[in-house]
Amino acid sequence: MSTAEKAVEGRRRSIDWGKIGWAIMLILAILAILLPIYIMIKTSLADRASIVTGGLYPEPLWPFAPNFDQFGVLLGKGDFIAAGLTSLLVAVLSVAVALLLGVPAAFTLARYKFPGIGTLALVIIGIRLFPDIASAIPVAELFLKPPLIYIPPLIQVALAHALLSAPYVVYICQGVFATIPKDLEEQAYVMGASRLRSFVSVVLPVALPGMAAAAIYTFLLSWNEFIYAYYLLFQSTETTLPVYMLRLLTWTPQRNYLAALAVVLSLPVILFTFLVQRYMIAGMTAGAVK
Amino acid sequence: MTDVSSQRSSWQRVGDFWARYGFAISLLVPCTIYILFFLLIIAFYLIQLSLTQRVSLVETQFPSVQNYIEMAASSEFQDAFIRTLAFVIVGTPLQLLAGLVLATIINRPFRGRGIVRSVFLLPVAIPSLVTATIIAYMLFTYPFGHVNDLLLGRLFLPGVVQEPVNWYTSPALALGLALFAQVWRDMPISMLILLAGLQSIPADQYEAAESMGASAWQRFWYITIPMLLPAISTVLILRSIEVWKQFIFPFIIAPTFPLLGVLLDHAYHNLRNPEMAAAIGVALVIFILITRWVLTFGTEKVRAYLVKV
Repeated sequence: MSTAEKAVEGRRRSIDWGKIGWAIMLILAILAILLPIYIMIKTSLADRASIVTGGLYPEPLWPFAPNFDQFGVLLGKGDFIAAGLTSLLVAVLSVAVALLLGVPAAFTLARYKFPGIGTLALVIIGIRLFPDIASAIPVAELFLKPPLIYIPPLIQVALAHALLSAPYVVYICQGVFATIPKDLEEQAYVMGASRLRSFVSVVLPVALPGMAAAAIYTFLLSWNEFIYAYYLLFQSTETTLPVYMLRLLTWTPQRNYLAALAVVLSLPVILFTFLVQRYMIAGMTAGAVK
Repeated sequence: MTDVSSQRSSWQRVGDFWARYGFAISLLVPCTIYILFFLLIIAFYLIQLSLTQRVSLVETQFPSVQNYIEMAASSEFQDAFIRTLAFVIVGTPLQLLAGLVLATIINRPFRGRGIVRSVFLLPVAIPSLVTATIIAYMLFTYPFGHVNDLLLGRLFLPGVVQEPVNWYTSPALALGLALFAQVWRDMPISMLILLAGLQSIPADQYEAAESMGASAWQRFWYITIPMLLPAISTVLILRSIEVWKQFIFPFIIAPTFPLLGVLLDHAYHNLRNPEMAAAIGVALVIFILITRWVLTFGTEKVRAYLVKV
């Protein structure tokens, strides 16, 4: 492309319409993406006059008297704090289960090639072919009957989330393990460590960044997850944040309060995304292979 | 104790197998069993439930195809099916287009490109529920709100309508909004797949075309698109599956014009009929499989044709 530009410039001093067009598209794309986020943030800071206009004046693009009041109200509500802590607990649990299941499996898939391993990989990925909304029904019915009904509801949700994220954990970690040379664990094995020991003490520390990426991906998936939480916690008093938000919607809340909740729900995710962008890309293209 | 004969007994062969693969198998087994367990439960339970008829609040009768008969005959299901089909047919190319636009923009090296790419990834970072809420409760509100203000001409641009638009009484508008929100949310995923495809096109193809006098438009149509076809077909197949599975956006933004996923939830939670919901679920999985086969078949045909050309 730059060769072309130089050629153009050499031939005649004309405007590079291509580049201007591209720049316009770039700016439009950035605006289109940032707009809803901006609206969410500005509504959360809005005072009453800025959102209840009664048609007398257009809704301001920046509130007349921005304040953090709604956040104060939100943080003062006991059930919100409870929902936040529940979301946190469920997310951490699901990370633990998903990693415990997925990391060893990923290691095996990366290292060994025995018959049937291809089909096993397919099974692990294949669970994602079912719509969440359809698969939530049998899972919910299953957990409503003995013996699984005795599992506390939060653990049920964590198990469901681990189920959803295990394929991604396997995919991400498999890629990581494939890049770690076999010599590392072979060395330890030769020096007398058991296979398990050489795996845990030698390979895992090296794979830590990749595992961290998988852990963060699982955490975010659980934090945002709505459908399974909705179905599994339907009759329970516990809620996670997305379910809390849904229940709030049925009470037609004030918009600024709603926006404050939205901001709190989104903030960890946005922060994490910016921090681990590289790993997210690997995870998301894996997610595309459902 | 070593065996003198050269043959290994079956037990010894088992022992050999275990010695060689035992560690690997024990690592793999928990994950596989976990997922397999749920996969089988989901598949069988879904089918079994769908073949059970709910006679009353506590009685059920199995087996019975009554659910499917009722479902196929009900106008709600037929309407929901048509709406979902339209949603998929319109939404999948839109996803492709949005992803293509973003990928083309970000493909060009420039300063600050990394930050812009992080920005482009933001929509998929925000929980779907939050995005749906922003669209329905903060932007496209009726009778007041930002978008209606804009359309009525109360902000800087001249107005195009006389009356505020009620987004939620018209199926086209409500579902259009849900579609728009969903495309917005998922376009980074299409972008990433297409970007990978774009970056694998060798630069000398473009240079050769330019030296032969091809315009930017021609270069796009005759080099970029054909070489991008594998990525395009991947996006079409994967995204169409995802659009069929859509629940959150139609549920929040257009609940009065249910899509199949919303209808499923309605059957389960409001009608207290998990069996009917399961039947809808089975139907949904079948539609997804059909779409996948049709698209895979179709893109193969297109690719074969273009290779000949």
